[in-house]
Amino acid sequence: MNPGNLLWVLLLLPALGGGISLLLKSGRSILRLVAAGVFLIATGTGVFVFSLSGRLPILSRGGWLHLDALTAFHLLVMTLVFLLCSLFAVVYFQEGGRPTIDLAQARRFGALWFGALTAMTFVLLANNLGLMWVGVEATTLITAFLICLHSTPVSLEATWKYLIVCSVGVAFAFMGILLIGAAAAETSTIAGHFLDWTHLRRIAGGFDPKLMKLAFVFLLVGFGTKAGLAPFHNWLPDAHSQAPAPVSALFSGFLLNSALYALMRIFPLINAAKGISAWGGRLFVIFGLLSILLAGVFLLSQHDLKRFFAYCSVENIGIIALGLGLGPLGITASLFHTLYHSTAKVLGFSAAGRIGHMYGTMDMRRISGALRFGRWWGVGLLVSLLALSGMAPLAIFFSKFLMMRAAALNREYLVLILLLFGSCLVFITMIRRAIDLSWGEPPVQAGPAAHDHRLEKTIVLVTFALLLILGMWQPRPVLGLIRQAAAIVGGQKS
Amino acid sequence: MSTLIDSLIAALLLVNLGLVGSSRLTGCIRLAALQGVLVGLLPLVSHAGVAPRTVILALGVISLKGIVFPRLLANAIRNADVRREIEPFVGFSVSLLMALGLVAVSFWLGSNLPLPENQFPGKLVIPGALCTILIGLFLIISRRKAVNQVLGYLVIENGIAAFGLALVPDIPMLIELGILLDVFFGIFIMAIMIYRIGREFNHIDVDRLSTLKG
Repeated sequence: MNPGNLLWVLLLLPALGGGISLLLKSGRSILRLVAAGVFLIATGTGVFVFSLSGRLPILSRGGWLHLDALTAFHLLVMTLVFLLCSLFAVVYFQEGGRPTIDLAQARRFGALWFGALTAMTFVLLANNLGLMWVGVEATTLITAFLICLHSTPVSLEATWKYLIVCSVGVAFAFMGILLIGAAAAETSTIAGHFLDWTHLRRIAGGFDPKLMKLAFVFLLVGFGTKAGLAPFHNWLPDAHSQAPAPVSALFSGFLLNSALYALMRIFPLINAAKGISAWGGRLFVIFGLLSILLAGVFLLSQHDLKRFFAYCSVENIGIIALGLGLGPLGITASLFHTLYHSTAKVLGFSAAGRIGHMYGTMDMRRISGALRFGRWWGVGLLVSLLALSGMAPLAIFFSKFLMMRAAALNREYLVLILLLFGSCLVFITMIRRAIDLSWGEPPVQAGPAAHDHRLEKTIVLVTFALLLILGMWQPRPVLGLIRQAAAIVGGQKS
Repeated sequence: MSTLIDSLIAALLLVNLGLVGSSRLTGCIRLAALQGVLVGLLPLVSHAGVAPRTVILALGVISLKGIVFPRLLANAIRNADVRREIEPFVGFSVSLLMALGLVAVSFWLGSNLPLPENQFPGKLVIPGALCTILIGLFLIISRRKAVNQVLGYLVIENGIAAFGLALVPDIPMLIELGILLDVFFGIFIMAIMIYRIGREFNHIDVDRLSTLKG
């Protein structure tokens, strides 16, 4: 049997989960379904991807779905993020074994959560660029109501901004895809499937470079808006800060990456056109640096814990984009950074959600002594802040270091200096915040001390271990996957 | 054939100006619906002509953009119980002048962008599409009612549909349907949001949704 046809199962399972969660009759069972379902899907995906790792790329029959190393790597990151966020959601939406959301909210959460998983899987697997776009737009629409799960004025405001800005932005990306389609229609000989990535990649060498440049500008603005690249990031801090913590963690952990993935997919097509190979990379470098520096400055003045993490996402998305423009080593560093940042950010937002709940505020000036008072989540917050600041030996240090080496090897000294400056700025801000939040006297009026659920300890421990180990040692299959994925983004024929 | 197309595009441009100049919310919704119908008719006069594929698409687009969306939006503003007039940031006469400027810009862009040989009979399609997209953006930026922003989004979608028809006439059916589905759910969700914002705030003026900053 063609293993490519199994790709449909990856799409159907989460859709099925969403359907079932609409039928269940209690909030508690829906939360259990979310955790168990995502756990099964994540394990299944992991086994599936690794058992196939020698035989990639594979196509489903008819060529609609496509799995290569780049997709496989992102699938792994996505399922890891979803797994951690789902486990956290079970903790977050329950208090003393009782759900804190009513049945209607729980159903909405379950259906949209599984729906988001389906849509993101579709973005990753779709071979046709048009369908990939449909998937990206679907992720926007499905996740919108997750932001205002608790219907408050500010969350509605954030949802509206997210909907309009991202819908319009992603519509512009579609113009870019149309332009690629126009370039392909000039040279392509097959009808019907001419927007398939596998087909485009074969013939991209003959595309009109001017047309491809125009297309890339539209795509970068469009998908860049969704990914949160500065200066199109202004929906991001609002949505991230107003959404419930598991949703913020998911947004930062993979929603942004799914839009960046679309750019990584299209990047080799742009590079293949004659005479513009360096041009697309330059744009990535410019927007990447802009995001890093702008976010660095905004981080200085943030007092809201979740907004702080949100701007940190802008910075890290900038780093990933920057790496895409720094040659093969830079692309490898970007992929490592994708994995590390998503892991660290899930822990960060989860801890922020719990700590904020314990202290009854997200204002960082009123949170102190979290290490003692917040117990496990205090540790989680400290670890995530240290990891995101780029402190050794936690994982992000290594991807940032790799990125700087890539800049130095390419003799991009100005880029190197700006990256160093941005990283130092973020490092100092993060460490200062980490110290203020973790140590000191806890406020007297704070609520009762936390009773840590077994699940909570697991989440903190697992992510901590991942951040500690993955930086120094990567399992051989993962390393192989990242190398192959980098080769695909870099445009080398495998 | 090409005169028919050019007159459709000319009508599209007129509707754009009407959208910018209209002062009533319900009028704007009707104009956007008319524009959706015009865009829905375009595939029928393209080089593919009246074929099963184009007829299905045209029917889908016209019934959604001409009937379903206007009803959804009209319901949303009725339920949100908001005042029906538009109070733009930019006055109507200035808006109209700017819209005329945008028409000029789009004709300039249409002849200067490195676009491939036009696949579509009639010279006006690409400038017309670009103009529609720009007008849609202008509506989003310059109006304060949430409904107007949705209309702006719809206008952008119309423009992109026309643009796609001119550049890549043979997009697979599945993609077209996927896009239509996305737009449908997009408008549906935005209509629900308008209702919820109206209920929560007693107004749908987006410029007054400004708690979140920095």
